[in-house]
Amino acid sequence: MTDAFPGALVGPSSKERKYDRQLRLWAASGQQALEQSRVLLINSDGPIDGADTTVGGVAGVETLKNLVLPGVGGFTIVDPATVSESDLGVNFFLEESSLGKSRAEETARLLQELNPDVDGDFLNEAISELLKRPDFLPQYKLVIVSGPIKRSSLDTITASARELGIPVIYTRSVGFYSVFSLQLPAEFPIVETHPDPESTQDLRLVNPWPELKEAAARISNLDTLDDHEHGHVPYVLLLLHYLEKWKAEHNGKPPENYKEKSAFRDMVRAGARTNNPEGGEENFDEAAAAVFKSINPWSLRSNIREIFEMEQCKNLKSDSDNFWIIASAISAFYTKHGVLPLPGSLPDMKAKPSDYVALQNIYKKKARQDMEEVLETVRATEARLGRQTPITEKEVETFCKNASHVKVIRGRDIPRIDKDSTQTLKAVRNALGNPESVMPIYIAFEALDIIVDGIQNGQLPQGSLDDDATWTTTIDRLLNIIAEGDDTVINDEVRERVTKVTQELRRTEGGELHNISALTGGLVSQEVLKVLTRQYVPLDNTCVFDGVGSRSEMFRL
Amino acid sequence: MAARDAYLKRSLGTLSKRIRESRVLLVGAGGIGCELLKNLLLTGFGEIHIIDLDTIDLSNLNRQFLFRQEHIKKSKALVAKEVAGKFQPNAKLEAYHANIKDSQFTVDWFAKFDIVFNALDNLDARRHVNRMCLAANVPLVESGTTGFNGQVQVIKKGQTECYDCNPKEVPKSFPVCTIRSTPSQPIHCIVWAKSYLFPELFGTSETDAEADGLDHSEDAENAEEIENLRREAQALKAIRASMGSDDFAEKVFTKVFKEDIERLRGMEDMWKTRKPPEPLDYGTLQEKASAIDPTVSQNDQKIWTLEEDFVVFKDRSDTRMPYEDKRLKSLQESNTGEVEPILTFDKDDVDTLDFVAASANLRSTIFGIEPKSKFDIKQMAGNIIPAIATTNAMTAGLCVLQAFKVLKDDYSRAKMVFLERSGVRAINSDTLKPPNPNCPVCSVALGRIFVDLEHATLNDLIEDILRQQLGYGDEFSVSTDAGTIYDPDLDDNLPKKLTDLGLKAESLIRVIDEEDEEPRVNLELLVSERAKATPEDKPISLEKQIDIPKKPKQEPAAEEQVNGAALNGTTGKRKRGAEEAGLEEIQPAKRFAKAEANGDGEHPIVLDETESGAILIDD
Repeated sequence: MTDAFPGALVGPSSKERKYDRQLRLWAASGQQALEQSRVLLINSDGPIDGADTTVGGVAGVETLKNLVLPGVGGFTIVDPATVSESDLGVNFFLEESSLGKSRAEETARLLQELNPDVDGDFLNEAISELLKRPDFLPQYKLVIVSGPIKRSSLDTITASARELGIPVIYTRSVGFYSVFSLQLPAEFPIVETHPDPESTQDLRLVNPWPELKEAAARISNLDTLDDHEHGHVPYVLLLLHYLEKWKAEHNGKPPENYKEKSAFRDMVRAGARTNNPEGGEENFDEAAAAVFKSINPWSLRSNIREIFEMEQCKNLKSDSDNFWIIASAISAFYTKHGVLPLPGSLPDMKAKPSDYVALQNIYKKKARQDMEEVLETVRATEARLGRQTPITEKEVETFCKNASHVKVIRGRDIPRIDKDSTQTLKAVRNALGNPESVMPIYIAFEALDIIVDGIQNGQLPQGSLDDDATWTTTIDRLLNIIAEGDDTVINDEVRERVTKVTQELRRTEGGELHNISALTGGLVSQEVLKVLTRQYVPLDNTCVFDGVGSRSEMFRL
Repeated sequence: MAARDAYLKRSLGTLSKRIRESRVLLVGAGGIGCELLKNLLLTGFGEIHIIDLDTIDLSNLNRQFLFRQEHIKKSKALVAKEVAGKFQPNAKLEAYHANIKDSQFTVDWFAKFDIVFNALDNLDARRHVNRMCLAANVPLVESGTTGFNGQVQVIKKGQTECYDCNPKEVPKSFPVCTIRSTPSQPIHCIVWAKSYLFPELFGTSETDAEADGLDHSEDAENAEEIENLRREAQALKAIRASMGSDDFAEKVFTKVFKEDIERLRGMEDMWKTRKPPEPLDYGTLQEKASAIDPTVSQNDQKIWTLEEDFVVFKDRSDTRMPYEDKRLKSLQESNTGEVEPILTFDKDDVDTLDFVAASANLRSTIFGIEPKSKFDIKQMAGNIIPAIATTNAMTAGLCVLQAFKVLKDDYSRAKMVFLERSGVRAINSDTLKPPNPNCPVCSVALGRIFVDLEHATLNDLIEDILRQQLGYGDEFSVSTDAGTIYDPDLDDNLPKKLTDLGLKAESLIRVIDEEDEEPRVNLELLVSERAKATPEDKPISLEKQIDIPKKPKQEPAAEEQVNGAALNGTTGKRKRGAEEAGLEEIQPAKRFAKAEANGDGEHPIVLDETESGAILIDD
């Protein structure tokens, strides 16, 4: 088509067409957030064991590739390394002519070619120098660090990022293994968590509002309907109809337990006409099938209650995140009505088109009313706090639709096996109790970090990465810390597992395999996309990948 | 150069030599294909053949990283080879811009590979490669993604399940009358616009080929209405001939949104219980819509008003408007430049989509159904599967890891791997299951016959080979890709030459034992051409004697209904009526399971759950 109609490609819709397949996952709002984000990749920080060895940085570059393609706003690669022969064998985003040149520059150039919408940049300086500039880090929405890296460097990065509320991902890929951890800001709220559509259905059948009740009342005499009409009453109305009948016979109470619900389901089923020449009474089947899912009194999920009770929700400030302003307004709505705003969506069901549309409008109208009430509270809050930029109606609407599934992740630090990290140690011990767990891989990577740190600090001689004794001592030390004096936890079997994994890890002497790093790049970039679009629930907080067994596991460390 | 693969050698050990010496076939150069090609090259695979029949589209660029804007409309396979080859000049790359189902890709050709990777976007091609790999006894790594989910499966003849050991979902279809006369949901109107109106006006008309998404199984019960609909389609054909004339859009509009609706409305029986459709009037809408600019179609999130639908419909069907290059008519001409211009529905072509969206919404309005936004219509009309780079990267990586097990011949440790968004594991795996003994695809006996195509008749096959040499009795049937050519009630073909029955070199013949007592498993015979050595020789000979085991007990009925659909109509189900046979030939993948209650309740509707994991798409 290009040859014939070059104009067709530059039209205003070409971007939508290019990104169509992903817009189906995160919509225009997610795409916009992505396009407004600049990502920093710290891809190496000096030699890790001798002058000519650095982190390969393939996982980092592959991560960026998966962000450049969907159109991230921009990226900067920080990497003081020059391109070596071994880089060429493992990194797709380098060419023969790159040899000896700046790796940051070469990878940035080739990544940039993937997508002209993206602004790619590079810096050859060491990250420690760059961090001294106060305006450096705030440019970025997220930082990716390729390890192993000097502990002091990582600490500086994570501390600054924590202060600025910038998420950090620390990733390592060696041989057949990889591991990465995500450090989120202290509170990371997500509105669009994309739960399973099944779980989001909210029909309010037990406590219908007046308009819905009225609609059900219109079919109060089902027996007078002709067969076609009878087979086309939307199941939502059928359930409301039989609920009224049930309540009349049960002191005004809806069916409450399993037995009652079963009886209620039988009552609904018995309403179907068996001699309907039209053939179908599937609407009754639909109604019966929905009994256990839909006939429940409305209740507030505990994690939403927790959000309402958080400091940020109760004590709004003029610079509070929009999330908290809206959450607080919704909390007020809940206090007043005992329910959250109605999401307003209606599942597909057997019905005449006009009836379905009418019912849909009842739900939509109620959702609109609820949203407007929340919006009013939001506006009042904004006025009270003297906030300048009003929250958009769209944002309030989205929140209302997702109100029962919003989530706040309390960000955790990049984990480390350390005497003071009681939480982490406990989680590690728990995982080690399961012989199938890939936790030994995490421990091996921790040992790698410690040894590299030792070499970079001059505490260990160069070549230590190849020294058996260094590894044994390091692993022993880590296992002792994990055991916290309890030898039953770290038994011989656990030691054996950790040792085996460590040997596998050491086979490539810290080198990356392209395939594993590419796969890791896929995993990491997926988490980055979740964080940047603020959609779906990101990792909390560590993922370990085992390429030998083709499996991954997530830990809260 | 030693330093380049130092890590690889250390990590893979002796396997690295096998990797370097192996010949790989990569079927599909799309999302997974691009990733896989890169990973295979940087894992040291020495020889990779890439095949893909597609050309590059703008909507591929968000993930198929070997392709750029300037490659649009070029062959995926050729560009992938050119771009990736630059990065690994030592590897031998071979590219084919071709359909893997093409007869040039014979079983012998497949057999030359050590491993095959499927990175495909459709069931039909997946099944074909599955069968070819089974026939050639080459291990297959099958993969697919949808959104955040992905799946990798290792398939090895006799050792693991094959692709067809488990039934797969079939595409959605609707009864003709629901689509043409009594729509009740937005999807019905969208299918009408996409599979009836669009092809009748711009593509291959329904009378020539089975339209996508239509179920003709109930036509017989509605013969009268079907006949009316046929006449309507004929009338539309006449209008089609006037394409390019000043009043083309008006003619089409008046025909399908007014006259046809009035006719329908006149069938009072139909509207006793339904709300009758309300025809639209071109002149009235024209007046109301005079101020609306056709660029309104650029807003794909908004649900257009009736007047806006009208304007978009008119603009996209009308050739008088000034944007000459953007019109369907001209696109159609440029497509072939020949006498009979043909457009096929392409969800990523803006003009096509606009036309379908506006037409679907106009029809929805007529029937009191809620209209949809262009964005939603695109999803529904195009069966769009969300696709992103991240999932492809993970899936391709997992494919290579499974390939390691395959090359080590370590099938006990090879896995079925799933990528899922939720849960504590992003990647889950499962050990591979042994072949399903009732699988109609892999649990069959295979053999090869040498045929003198000039002389051999069906009788030669039935008598000499099947009865005398292979011991078949009276009850069996023989079929080819075109359908059944022999069964006990169908012996007219016996004197005919095999070539007259459509057989040629590399054709597959399927023999189904239909004895009541202990029938044997199905037999597939591959045809190889060979002239008779001497005039006394029989015109057909077996390559070697074939062992055909008995079928396992409890033969499930499911074989014919579900998996059989994979076999291009070569199932045991005999086709008698000509119409029925024709139908099956064209739409082999459709079988109708009783549906969920979702339509108007009068007709079965088969729903396609693309997110079910059974159909995993990579385009």
